[in-house]
Amino acid sequence: MKKFLIIVITKLIAKMLKILGKNAGNLPGNLALKWDKSILDYFKITGKVIAVTGTNGKTMTNNCIAQILKDSGKKIVSNLQGNNMETGILSALIKNSSLTGKIDSDYLVFETDESYVPVLYQKIPLDCLVVLNFFRDQLDRNGEMETLVLKIQKFLETYNGNLILNADDPNVSRLSKANPKNDHIFFYSVEKCAESTEELREAAEGTYCPFCRTKLHYEYYQYAHVGKFECPDCHYGKEDIYQLLTQINVENGTFRIGENDYKTQYDSLYAFYDLAAATSVAKLYEIPEESVKQTIEKFVLNNGRLEKLEVNKSKTIINLAKNPTGVNVSLRFLQKDPNPKELLFVLNDNVPDGKDVSWIWDIDFEKLENIERVITAGLRPYDAAIRIKTAGYPPEKIIPCTSIKEAVDKLYETQNTKYVIANYTAIQETRKEILDYQKSHRK
Amino acid sequence: MREIKILYLYPDMLNLYGDRGNIQALKYRAEKRGITVQIDHHYLDGQAPNFCDYDIVFSGGGADKEQALVAVDMMQYKEDIKKAVEQGVFFLLVCGSYQLFGKYYKGVEGDMIPGLEIFDFYTEAIQDRNKRCIGNVVIQTELNGKQTKVIGYENHGGQTKDVTSSFGKVLKGQGNAFGATEEGFMVENVIATYIHGTLLSKNPDITDYIIQYALERKYEEKIELEPLDDTFEEKCREQLLHRFLGEE
Repeated sequence: MKKFLIIVITKLIAKMLKILGKNAGNLPGNLALKWDKSILDYFKITGKVIAVTGTNGKTMTNNCIAQILKDSGKKIVSNLQGNNMETGILSALIKNSSLTGKIDSDYLVFETDESYVPVLYQKIPLDCLVVLNFFRDQLDRNGEMETLVLKIQKFLETYNGNLILNADDPNVSRLSKANPKNDHIFFYSVEKCAESTEELREAAEGTYCPFCRTKLHYEYYQYAHVGKFECPDCHYGKEDIYQLLTQINVENGTFRIGENDYKTQYDSLYAFYDLAAATSVAKLYEIPEESVKQTIEKFVLNNGRLEKLEVNKSKTIINLAKNPTGVNVSLRFLQKDPNPKELLFVLNDNVPDGKDVSWIWDIDFEKLENIERVITAGLRPYDAAIRIKTAGYPPEKIIPCTSIKEAVDKLYETQNTKYVIANYTAIQETRKEILDYQKSHRK
Repeated sequence: MREIKILYLYPDMLNLYGDRGNIQALKYRAEKRGITVQIDHHYLDGQAPNFCDYDIVFSGGGADKEQALVAVDMMQYKEDIKKAVEQGVFFLLVCGSYQLFGKYYKGVEGDMIPGLEIFDFYTEAIQDRNKRCIGNVVIQTELNGKQTKVIGYENHGGQTKDVTSSFGKVLKGQGNAFGATEEGFMVENVIATYIHGTLLSKNPDITDYIIQYALERKYEEKIELEPLDDTFEEKCREQLLHRFLGEE
């Protein structure tokens, strides 16, 4: 089929889906790709393409960058709904292009699944790649984390564009050496704060130097293997920092960049890392700092990523967590909250979640303190219950539910703070059930 | 008070797929019965462990890079490990460690990683790099004359062959190789398997078999483990067997 025709048809489909109130996140791209494998060539992109990749925090960082650019008056195209594979990004292009394939925007910001970075950006000219972190994630789909890092490294060997890297993740900052000729490399970092520890707290990846295999020395850890590290042998880890967040106060959501004080709605250290990445992009593209500050102060995602709600007089915090590090950082919230509270953990094992649920054994459920009940749900509620029991939490306080609705009803039988953690395919249903409950119990 | 001593090999390198959960499950089920559990760790380049001094040795699976480093380190203990196996120390070996206890591992390009040669099986990488045995797995095994099903998850490219006595018969999944009818390797004091999940988490019969074996060997008497409240485990097994095998 002619490319022109494919664009006409898929644009129509996207419009129709929108009218029907359906999400056209992947379907148009999926069809276009099926009809013509080289459909990407059709688009004439003149704006700057920024890609965000890494295991955790892609959507948050991507949407924050998009918001910063938009608020500063730029025209942007982005996959804000988190459809981050080839079909998702293609769908975003289809929806925003003219019939001749022209895309009229200053910036295109795409969160991109790690394994699709080489596939896509061999075809789409990339101006800036942001790499956040690498944790174990859905091992049965992606293969080992190392394979992913090597894939991106290989792509970077011939890439000369801007590269923004998390200096504090040894699996990320090693990518700076992929192409010694590229001098557009920018590191970001978050300074030591009250939450930093001298000992490793959670499951970690890559605690050995990727270059000489010596055990890395950490001055401090922020979370998992993210922290200030250096190889005692080859001194890997000493980098000049382009964007440094200082005076970190996680609880108040305040930090400083240079001479400027920032405030955010987020009160988690890993969100600070995402903000460090997003503000690095803003700095690189010379967005006025006053505008960036204003965006950061307002910015929140309302899609189950650290979302806060009030349900039937119970404060509720919902967070998506797809891997051990994601859950561990979410559990930190519970640990910090001295009030009576309960946890709902929803575990699915559909293909996008990873069909293997072994990863829950890398979660630090040993630290569940002052929690009155734990409710487990999803497709694997008993696996979750066994895990939490084995960690030492009293089994009589664990309630496994095979239906998410039942779990939500049980959760709100009591009035205290609710922490909800759900994985990829579980989050939307869980969120919907909670919102439905909220609606039906509003007086 | 009775005590079990466990040696956990390379916990920071062989730590894929929640394999550390096996140690937690052993500890949990032993301590619930008032048995003291001591867990020692051996790390890369660490002091040589006295394998014969332990009741249970556990070694899991790692990423390729880690696996290769561990193979070199472990090779220096080849004779000690062999002696411990012969003396009846219990070995629980998952994935990469399973392969390492055989004759060799032959990579895609024909590269050979020598094994510890404790057992006669060997492993060959599958030629197609994109093909792996991945998915939920259920096998039928026999422990002390009692039939039981083992539920878990497999994820391996290695095809293990010449296994003389398997861990069990495959009811769902691949097993030792694509289309194999058998999974893992088992003798009285060794279970070597590709099953994660974590293996011991929802297969309490196996956990108890290992604990009972270790105690009987150590204290030279018949041991009856008192039953525990396994409501979650039973429900979990019921749900998953129904889903994977269509069993009621």
